[in-house]
Amino acid sequence: MEAKEQVMSAKTLQSEATDAKSLLQEVAEKSGQNLLACYQCRRCAAGCPVGEETGVTPDRLIRMVLLGDREEALNNLLVWKCVACYTCGTRCPNNIQTARITETLKQMSKAAHLEPLRPRIADFHNAFMQATEHMGRFNEIEGMRIYETKTTLKELKTGNFGAIIDEMKNQAKLGVSMMKKKRMHFKADQVKNKAEVKALYRKARQGKGA
Amino acid sequence: MTMELAYYPGCSLHASSALYDVQCKMVFRNLGIELKEIEDWNCCGATAAAKTDDFLSIALPARNLGIADATGLSEIVIPCSSCYSRTLVSQKRLSCDPGLKDAINEELAHKVEGKIKVSNVLEVLVPRATSGEIAGKAKKKLEGLKPACYYGCLLTRFPCDVNVTDDVENPQGMEIVCTSLGAEPIDWSYKTDCCGASASVNDADQSLILMSRIMKDAVARGANCFVSTCPLCQFNVDAYQEQVAQKYGLEKRLPVYFITELIGIAMGFDPIEMQVDRHLTDAMGLLKELKLI
Repeated sequence: MEAKEQVMSAKTLQSEATDAKSLLQEVAEKSGQNLLACYQCRRCAAGCPVGEETGVTPDRLIRMVLLGDREEALNNLLVWKCVACYTCGTRCPNNIQTARITETLKQMSKAAHLEPLRPRIADFHNAFMQATEHMGRFNEIEGMRIYETKTTLKELKTGNFGAIIDEMKNQAKLGVSMMKKKRMHFKADQVKNKAEVKALYRKARQGKGA
Repeated sequence: MTMELAYYPGCSLHASSALYDVQCKMVFRNLGIELKEIEDWNCCGATAAAKTDDFLSIALPARNLGIADATGLSEIVIPCSSCYSRTLVSQKRLSCDPGLKDAINEELAHKVEGKIKVSNVLEVLVPRATSGEIAGKAKKKLEGLKPACYYGCLLTRFPCDVNVTDDVENPQGMEIVCTSLGAEPIDWSYKTDCCGASASVNDADQSLILMSRIMKDAVARGANCFVSTCPLCQFNVDAYQEQVAQKYGLEKRLPVYFITELIGIAMGFDPIEMQVDRHLTDAMGLLKELKLI
């Protein structure tokens, strides 16, 4: 189990008011959430399906941002393991959608070129977006190929051959049972007007974004 | 009289969940509804876009909304919960943010107008169950079937304020449809819990924990199958069930039906034509045992 103890580090308690303001402002603007409305009732924590494993629950993540602890806020298990089920936000009496905050923090972490605490999770979603940019539609085989390439290269660098073999075994097993049941589709599905989809990606990169 | 609805299958209904695409068309046609797949649609970006790029998470579904608006049809049906959620959220966001709407429309041949109604399958099926229309088309009762109606996350919970069509914590749409066909859906606690579909590849242990909780409660409450409307939930609980059961020492295996499979079986459709034999956790055995096929 990867639960860790309460993450409020001594560093958090020493953070400067100026840091807090800029981090809070940045997260609030990008996520569209009013973090100041949180009064720590922890209804979100009670409903969080990954809370037991992450240790950090949505209320604590909000607290980290309020206290201006940029390092912890961008790099804790909840940010990466959040499954975006939207339970916290649905139950929040003050309408704070913390899943939007974890989405925002992931994007901020990527923009700051930080190494994700769970690289596989980041690699998967990046691979999904890369495959979608290529064909306009997500093809499962292409997406998995991009993802497995990204993760395997990383494991190779660290010499973690066991992880590579386990991953190959698992995926091969799933692939075989999908083929047996005719759930695997080899024909690539694609959009005709790919230029239009690529134009949206281009605009996203220019930062004219939402 | 046949009515036409616009239709967005999404990527999974063109790939691993092609059976759901087949079933939706068969069942809806029998209810007098022709599903018109919109032209040249793209991926909605699903969970990945929201986690990586706010602009694309709105812009990708927006391109589909523009195409859907251009059909002139009044309603678009989106069976996948993730596609449905992302499209509805995009439509809502663009209605509140004209600047963003203009910025996206600049790139699109078919501009988003925001007029088409975005529906999930239950919004079309539930009124037809309550009116007795679905039961009227049924050739047999689904006797002995005790489904755990599994809604997952994205049918009732949204990251922004949109019109939610069922009870958020205790939705009833699937129960209404199943009951109208003579099945006895069980009452249980995990119907809107997350199965971890978006984590099944990249955070497998987490996804197995989430599915084990769902499985345990469904079995303890006496369900003999699951029923779902979401291809991502269906695939996850179907394909990884053996792994969950082995890791957590569960004896039972429960078939995970699409709602369209149960309606189709009641309507007397051929299970092979509906591709019910393509589940990874056997789905034919229970139907045979209950003499429904």
